[in-house]
Amino acid sequence: MIVPFEHILVLAGLLFFLGMGGLLAWRANLIMMLVCIEVMLNAVMLVFVAGSARWGNPDGQLFAIFIMALTSAEVSLALAMVVYLHRKKRTVNTDMFSEMKG
Amino acid sequence: MTTADIYAIMPLIILTAGCVLCLLAGSLRPGFYLYPAALAVVGAALLWCVCVPAESVMPGMTVNRFSRASSAFFYATGLVALLMAYGYNRRRGIEGEEYPATLLFALLGMGVTCSASNLLMLFLGLEAFTFAFYILVTIERDSILGGESGLKYLLNGTLSAAVMGMGMALLYAGSGTLKLAELTTVAGIPEPLLQAGIGMILIGLAFKLSLVPAHLWTPDVYQGAPAPVTALLSTASKGAAVVALLLLFPLLQTWQGGHDLLWLLALLSMLTGNLAALLQPGIKRMLAWSSIGQMGYVALAFVAFPAGGDRAALLYVVAYAAAGLAAFGAVSILSDTSERDDIDSYRGLGYRNPLAGAVLALAMFSLAGIPPTAGFMAKFAVFAAALRAGEITLALAGIASALVAVFFYLRIVVVLYMKKPAELSEVRALTVAEILALGIPGATLVLLGVYPQPLLDLLKAILA
Repeated sequence: MIVPFEHILVLAGLLFFLGMGGLLAWRANLIMMLVCIEVMLNAVMLVFVAGSARWGNPDGQLFAIFIMALTSAEVSLALAMVVYLHRKKRTVNTDMFSEMKG
Repeated sequence: MTTADIYAIMPLIILTAGCVLCLLAGSLRPGFYLYPAALAVVGAALLWCVCVPAESVMPGMTVNRFSRASSAFFYATGLVALLMAYGYNRRRGIEGEEYPATLLFALLGMGVTCSASNLLMLFLGLEAFTFAFYILVTIERDSILGGESGLKYLLNGTLSAAVMGMGMALLYAGSGTLKLAELTTVAGIPEPLLQAGIGMILIGLAFKLSLVPAHLWTPDVYQGAPAPVTALLSTASKGAAVVALLLLFPLLQTWQGGHDLLWLLALLSMLTGNLAALLQPGIKRMLAWSSIGQMGYVALAFVAFPAGGDRAALLYVVAYAAAGLAAFGAVSILSDTSERDDIDSYRGLGYRNPLAGAVLALAMFSLAGIPPTAGFMAKFAVFAAALRAGEITLALAGIASALVAVFFYLRIVVVLYMKKPAELSEVRALTVAEILALGIPGATLVLLGVYPQPLLDLLKAILA
């Protein structure tokens, strides 16, 4: 491999924690939270593909493809929920969805 | 794929076909006739699991005694949850084929989880049933709480899926294999990759088990979801996560930090769950916090893994599932057009609705760990394993928090039987489905408390 394995791990780690930080910090907007989760899952796929290239077997790539399928299903469900809640409350601000506490 | 393989995975095929047919039939002719059909499908899968001893090893999946017994347990749980939902969804106007179809899909995911033999199948199984629950939690479209709780569950759930996926990716990158059996034996995984991988997988599973500090979704989701969904969510989905943890445990044991992390999760869950449950005015939130505490005891069993903790954990899951189904079943049967959530609104119901009241009281006794119920046997097994393993501090914390928990469980029993009823509305006669949905878990609770030996023998056999 031309790119060293460690470099990919560092990049994926950065992406992962960028996504997680964004998710925790950007609590105001649902769409942005979904984007941050996507970034995290992309980091996961990157590690799988890098591992696949490192060991020369296709298991990791297979896992990455399954994660893609999983994310697309997830996003479609999440967006359906966002549309539904938006109709009820006219907002995508998560702070408005706080009927339950305790 | 040989005939033996097909026989072995026949329950999964039955569930898949049932799920797809249910969706198709519902789009042609919607109606509540789909519930009995779904019941028949789950019943067929359950019967096959119990009666046909087909076992096989396939790429990614291994069907053996362990997977057959645990999937039979999940299917039985699903059966009871469907019986509960039949009348409840009718009363609440939750129409459509989505409910039975999604429930079948959830059971399929659990069946895949417990027969997984590599990380990919395990991950897909876990995500498949979590996915079904995202839909089931939100299924009541008129309820604003349902949408909110579904969204909270989804955001937390995808975050945990990403964390668990990262853990698996790091282990794969370090070892070059996804097979569970090879991962434990392969040498030379770089230490940081191994530790980060195991830690992240453990955190992802802690979310599914709602262990503190990954528990924040639990009270909101339990409160917002329809009661039959909560019943399944709090029992079968926790059970599937425990099975996943059992499958991964040989791997987790390769790093001492995994044990320490689990120790901390167990302690925090037992204390936080039981203390917070004291303060809840609503029964569903109370049961949610108490389930966090109960899962702390399961984590305690895993900490005591070398001293027979695996058997104790499974016994605890079965006892908890019976009690959870009984409790949420009683809640869903006692709720009519609106959810009966406030604990005060249960005043005197023990006399007005004797069966539901008695089963609810029995579930509370079991959750509190009072003999002769299943909960007592399970708590005894967990604490005995913990003491054998030398986890004195944790066992003492567990016993102390269990004593605190007795208070809020018995409060429900007091409200049911020792207070005057507030209202005098007409009492609805129970249907056959409702009597079965209450009777099966109730009978299990008593039977396991009085005569647990057959289950203990079975657990010994499947874990050997």
